[in-house]
Amino acid sequence: MTPFRRVTLTTHTLTSFLRTATPHRLYSTGTAPSSVSADELSHFSALASSWWDPMGPSRVLHLMNPLRHEFIASCLAEGPPAHGQQQQPEQGQANLHYLDVGCGGGIFAESLARTIPSTKNKTVTPTRAASITALDPSTTLIQIAREHARIDPTVDMHLRTGRFSYQNRTLEDLIESFSDSNEKKQFDIVTLFEVLEHIDPSTSSPLAFLTNCLRLVKPGGWLVGSTIARSFPSFLVNQVIAEAPWPIGVVPRGTHEWSKFVNPDEVKGWVQEGLMRGRDGTAEKAGSEALQGSMWKCEGVMYFPGLGWKIVKGSEDWGNYFWAVRKGV
Amino acid sequence: MRPVACSALRLCVRSRCRPGTFVVQRRGFVSKLDQAPEIYDVVCVGGGPAGLGLLAALRASSATSKLRVALVETQDLRKARTWNSAPHEFSNRVSSLTPSSVSFLQRIGAWDYLDTNRAQNYQEMKVWDGETGSRLSFDWSMETSPFEDLRTVATMTENVNLVRSLLLRIEKSGDENLSIFGNSTVSSIENGINYHPDGPNLSAWPVLSISPTQQQQQQQQQPSRIAARLLVGADGINSPVRRFADINTDGWDYGRQGVVATLALSEPDPTPFPLGTRTAFQRFLPSLGGPIALLPLPNNHATLVWSTTPENAAYLKSLAPKAFIAMVNAAFRLEMADLKYMMRMERQSSTSAADTEDLHESELVWRLQHTPLPSHIPPMVTSVQEGSVASFPLRFRHASTYVSPRVALVGDAAHVVHPLAGQGLNLGLGDVASLSNTIEYAVTHGMDVGDILTLERYSAERYGVNAKIGGVCDMLHKLYNVPGQGPVTWARSLGVEAIERLPLVKAFLMRNAES
Repeated sequence: MTPFRRVTLTTHTLTSFLRTATPHRLYSTGTAPSSVSADELSHFSALASSWWDPMGPSRVLHLMNPLRHEFIASCLAEGPPAHGQQQQPEQGQANLHYLDVGCGGGIFAESLARTIPSTKNKTVTPTRAASITALDPSTTLIQIAREHARIDPTVDMHLRTGRFSYQNRTLEDLIESFSDSNEKKQFDIVTLFEVLEHIDPSTSSPLAFLTNCLRLVKPGGWLVGSTIARSFPSFLVNQVIAEAPWPIGVVPRGTHEWSKFVNPDEVKGWVQEGLMRGRDGTAEKAGSEALQGSMWKCEGVMYFPGLGWKIVKGSEDWGNYFWAVRKGV
Repeated sequence: MRPVACSALRLCVRSRCRPGTFVVQRRGFVSKLDQAPEIYDVVCVGGGPAGLGLLAALRASSATSKLRVALVETQDLRKARTWNSAPHEFSNRVSSLTPSSVSFLQRIGAWDYLDTNRAQNYQEMKVWDGETGSRLSFDWSMETSPFEDLRTVATMTENVNLVRSLLLRIEKSGDENLSIFGNSTVSSIENGINYHPDGPNLSAWPVLSISPTQQQQQQQQQPSRIAARLLVGADGINSPVRRFADINTDGWDYGRQGVVATLALSEPDPTPFPLGTRTAFQRFLPSLGGPIALLPLPNNHATLVWSTTPENAAYLKSLAPKAFIAMVNAAFRLEMADLKYMMRMERQSSTSAADTEDLHESELVWRLQHTPLPSHIPPMVTSVQEGSVASFPLRFRHASTYVSPRVALVGDAAHVVHPLAGQGLNLGLGDVASLSNTIEYAVTHGMDVGDILTLERYSAERYGVNAKIGGVCDMLHKLYNVPGQGPVTWARSLGVEAIERLPLVKAFLMRNAES
């Protein structure tokens, strides 16, 4: 309905709902129905159906999803990830391993998992996914995601074989588990869709968070994300129009915190510093050689009611945009 | 368990029902209905040009060729696959393919398998009002430069020829991931269930039970059960798929019949210039209930589509060949009053020998002496192919939506229009082209092909187009059903003459008709 609409509203709504209503469930992993009251179950199902409801509040987010695939494909075309010893990786092979940080109800993760070739259908899409690991700290959202994945036998099978997994944990938790096992686990592509602007400044910072993400990216791989710029139009659209009373607004008041929005040059600065920090493993800067072979990509997107999302060159400073950084080989 | 239609048709070989890696089958402990069905990505009900076109298009694109697809058809597709006909005989079910339909068929590689000796392009369309004589001619050759090839308005093709070419194209794509259930009917469609708590949840998936048709019953005991990620209804005006999806359809019956026949014509006089140019003729006959059209087939043959009242249709069908021919020739030449008179003439008994003089024929000869003839009439019809005269009811239908979760409608299941513009099959092929593109987009973007977010792209692309063309045909039908002289008739001819004189408007209309 409105251009540049903020689209992660549902993550936010759900998380804040859970914080106030059922704080003890947010980090619990128990799924046994016996410990869950009927009241909570009905709340749960109401939320679950709204997350995947194509006409519900996440509709605009669903509509954006195909563009994420296209953006990743364009990144891969410009800078193919190096594979093993080979400098020229074989094109058209699904051999890339993905990590989706902040997967929410699984809109992107599930769609990418669907493109993983199976024994029955070996078609490779331009995103070339071989596996995907999806993280979210919210138990409820992971449950919603898992439940929805069962609707599609292909995705369900990938969940069973482990090519696709949902993990109810934080990024820091994942990194810790890797350091425990002493194995250097990295991914070809790490995705951060509509996450950056939700980082809690009291416990973390975008710089620290991005540095952690970059540590998990293989040399030659990409960190890809989307977020929204802190601009006057985005303030108008997201804070004034989208949160206006019904029927103009479609999101509850307080969904957005405009001050947390980030501009492309800020992201670029953070990832560059993140690459340098990640290089020597400490907080000290390794210097510009850490940036050698790295690439930066940024594209603005706009939502046109009735037409959907379109890439609009130069619009990245106004509202929603995709960004990506490639780690030097 | 296994459809029989397959043995002769290589493409029909269907792999044995086996438990998938992710499907827990509890054979022996549960009834058949609790067993998980076989899972397909696209299941198409209906093996007409639209359904086969969709399948061929999916098999032709590299992104969608590995999808697991199935098609269910009541007719014997082996017969359609091996169809053959003498070169001078033509089926009476003929369609006019617009250039965009032809380019779609070329793109999916089906055109290579079409017997083009049996197809006929035409470059000109002569349309006039039988009441006032005002004329609208669609002459594409005027628009092209002398160095270009003549522009084709449309290509006349027998439906059997088209169906065979699509079957051959599908056969060429191999039998991997493909099941064709010929001689089979869909005995039920219902939602699946959550078959096993640890398996996929198919409670929102359509599950079809497929049974062999009567004559195959002895060999086949149990119906096959298949689940569809996307169920496509290409199953015609009374679409069972549409009923399953609970989609309403609006519309009305025109109270008209389309009389069809395969005719042979005399040599065109004068010889068309440039040589090989073919013309389609259509004359609106307001007093008789609709237009008569003569569309060219190879070797001076033509197919007739005469939209008229059921009484007239019954009368025409009951005539002896000579009288029938005389009526068709009269319909393109005589005044309305003469035609109405001839339509009520007493029929000769069928026992009268072929060499005796036919009453209709002599009536026509006598009346033609007193009728001034315009220059744009078709050559005389000389004979009618035996057994080719038939009729079908004319109807208008439009489904309230083309999509619902895991269901899409194409072709006549979604819309039925008046045949006066020859658009029915073209709209169906347009649907199929759009739906196959939508599926391809979905597959390359990780979307579930049965998801409503995927399907709404198809619906958005086609609903308006089909509504517009269906509406124009309906409007023309109504406009040209007002007989006699009067305000509507005058306005009609004024409108037609105006369109004829305004090149821009006409070019616009022609482009619309073409695409």
